[in-house]
Amino acid sequence: MGGAVGLKGTDDVSDKALLLGAKERSGPRALEMLTELLALYHGKKIPAALFTCSNEMGANELEKAGILDYETVYDSPDDTSAKDTRLACAAFMNGKVDLIVFCGGDGTTRDIYETVGRKVPILGVPAGVKMHSGVFGMNPAATAKTLKEFIDGRLSAASAEVMDLDEELYRQGEWSVRLFGTALTLAEPHYVQVGKMCFEEVDEEAVLDDLAEYVTDRMREEGGLWLLGPGSTVERVGRALGVEKSVLGIDAVENGRLAGSDLNEKGLLALLDGRGGARVVLSPVGAQGFILGRGNLELSPAVLRKLLKMDGGEKCDKPDFDALMIIATPAKLAATPVLRVDTGDAKIDSTFDEKGHLLVATGYRSLRLVAVGSGND
Amino acid sequence: MKRNPTAFLKEEFDALVAQKLNWELRTLQGPSRPHSVVDGKEVIMLCSNNYLNLSNHPKVVEGAIEAAKKYGAGSGSVRAIAGNMAIHEEVERELAAFKGTESSLVYQTGFAANAGLIPQLADKGDIIISDALNHGSIIDGVRLSKADRGVYAHNDMGELERVLKEADGKYRRILIITDGVFSMDGDIAPLDEIYKLAQEYGAMTYVDDAHGEGVMGPDGRGMSAHFGLEGKIDVEMGTFSKAYGVVGGLVAGSRDLINYAFNKSRTWLLSGSHPPAVSGAQLASIKVLKTEPQHVKQLWENTNYFKKELVEMGFDTGNSVTPITPVIVGESAKAKDLSRRLIEEGVFALPIIFPMVAKDKARIRAMMNAGLKGDDIDYVLSTFEKIGKELGII
Repeated sequence: MGGAVGLKGTDDVSDKALLLGAKERSGPRALEMLTELLALYHGKKIPAALFTCSNEMGANELEKAGILDYETVYDSPDDTSAKDTRLACAAFMNGKVDLIVFCGGDGTTRDIYETVGRKVPILGVPAGVKMHSGVFGMNPAATAKTLKEFIDGRLSAASAEVMDLDEELYRQGEWSVRLFGTALTLAEPHYVQVGKMCFEEVDEEAVLDDLAEYVTDRMREEGGLWLLGPGSTVERVGRALGVEKSVLGIDAVENGRLAGSDLNEKGLLALLDGRGGARVVLSPVGAQGFILGRGNLELSPAVLRKLLKMDGGEKCDKPDFDALMIIATPAKLAATPVLRVDTGDAKIDSTFDEKGHLLVATGYRSLRLVAVGSGND
Repeated sequence: MKRNPTAFLKEEFDALVAQKLNWELRTLQGPSRPHSVVDGKEVIMLCSNNYLNLSNHPKVVEGAIEAAKKYGAGSGSVRAIAGNMAIHEEVERELAAFKGTESSLVYQTGFAANAGLIPQLADKGDIIISDALNHGSIIDGVRLSKADRGVYAHNDMGELERVLKEADGKYRRILIITDGVFSMDGDIAPLDEIYKLAQEYGAMTYVDDAHGEGVMGPDGRGMSAHFGLEGKIDVEMGTFSKAYGVVGGLVAGSRDLINYAFNKSRTWLLSGSHPPAVSGAQLASIKVLKTEPQHVKQLWENTNYFKKELVEMGFDTGNSVTPITPVIVGESAKAKDLSRRLIEEGVFALPIIFPMVAKDKARIRAMMNAGLKGDDIDYVLSTFEKIGKELGII
């Protein structure tokens, strides 16, 4: 399991903090990130206070990188486990840190998320086997750049999905990535021009509200049955409608009212049965920009065939992509510029490959064309 | 506690100042011309849009004076009620003839044209497809519309076509909007390709030619003339405030467009019409463009020389093909230093930095001018070279 380094602001910056995992693969990756971070500050003192855990859970890597100005807030045992990650996070939270940086994969992300929730943003140095969660930098060097931008006060907090393999299904031989929740991570602010040469930073919350308003307006205009996919972006739509939307599941809405909650494949098929169609609101989830196949397996091939009107047997040559309404904030699209699908049905996947692009709503009535594909050749 | 209803004014202004995002106004002590006096210091002006120096042309100044004498200082009303003077209509006839369109309409400003007309051209159930780098006044015009908005990457015709394909069949009307000349980079829209795609998909075309009027095409007749598309772009929008050297927005196109535009644009209907002096200067300015081709010719000679020399010195002028000459230096701090030093040396050029342009594309934006003499340009060039070396840019 990982270890920890923490960091907190000095007088000229607001309080910051950092936690790092450090063992085996994590160790070298953490060191790479720290070395890069130090280089970005030209070898000078990093203008933030650092907090960490002893030995392999952070302190060793900081020392190796030549960063000696830190405070140890958690003494880790020789043999660490997920429990230590949780305890370390609790110690960081007590110190009121502004950011937790860790090294690991989806498993570590879950451990941290379970302790931290949405109270503190988290940033991952990718070092795990599975990294579907949206909290990781592209690589250690890119993570260091993001961290520096945060320390310098240029980044804001945004939501990102915490995802992991469903271990139970995996043991049964099925490979299924589940959505566990939405954590806070860091994102580039989105700017809009408010004057000829004057720009205003738009916070992520305002963009999410705009998106939710756009979707609810379309719902009112078009009527019919709407399915709301998982994730915090779509959850906003539920909030705008005033319905109790499950964050992790798929819900159905009709005439502004909830028509089904946390629906599974069977429930979805039953709801779609006998109807002309429905629209489904989806947002890319996780680090790889998946709109289908990660975190929403309830949208099974059978459900998708109905939605895309591909259930006419062999004659289903032209899928109705209008059934999908994809929404994403500009910050999220910047992080995942390509949308991906992995529906578990090669035929459906290939229709997305052939299409190549989908219109994505990025604000109130604002659309952007974004590449989509299964990643298969 | 009782609410202080105006406390935000000071608080928000102070926040802007703290972030160094506030405007500090500079004062011109005299006319805007190639040699101007700004805040008491004589400088060579590289920030003005007065490309052809027509704001100081004797015939244009005279046009303003004569019209004021004949029609008075103000028009007394909006044009729709009692403020429509013969001189307003004369400007529009002259402009349409110059632009090679059936008709034209003058708005109070370019901004008023975009903000007033765009929302009338596309409504609920329509889509406006807009270049990602379009000017803020287009963005505001688009915001006032209930139409969906599709954005395509700057000048990416492949993406424009893909968006058109997506929109085809889903929307009642499709409106493609682009700047003619992009004001930050000085590059131009491929209007010929945009026109072709618009024809294919039954889309309307709208070109904001603020920086192309008086600069591009034969006699400075604008971007449509540059591409041999006179009268074919559905809406040619522009301004009198740049190369024409006056003020006012303009729209040129079919008779149908103009009838529709002035009956529907609230900015036009609800603003007082231009003072006669403004119209007199506009009229004179169009006539100067028609009869004195030397100004546009000189602008391009100056532009080509200035750019060639800058590039030979090792400066990066990006993709500019117009008198808007970005000198890209990278980091914001460097662009600010370069600007400060240029002004100290008597060259007035301001920095353009993030978030106006990408973080690594901070620049000085130099606008060439027909009124600059060879010696002036050589002085500007030698100053750029000296400070460029001093700051390690070249």
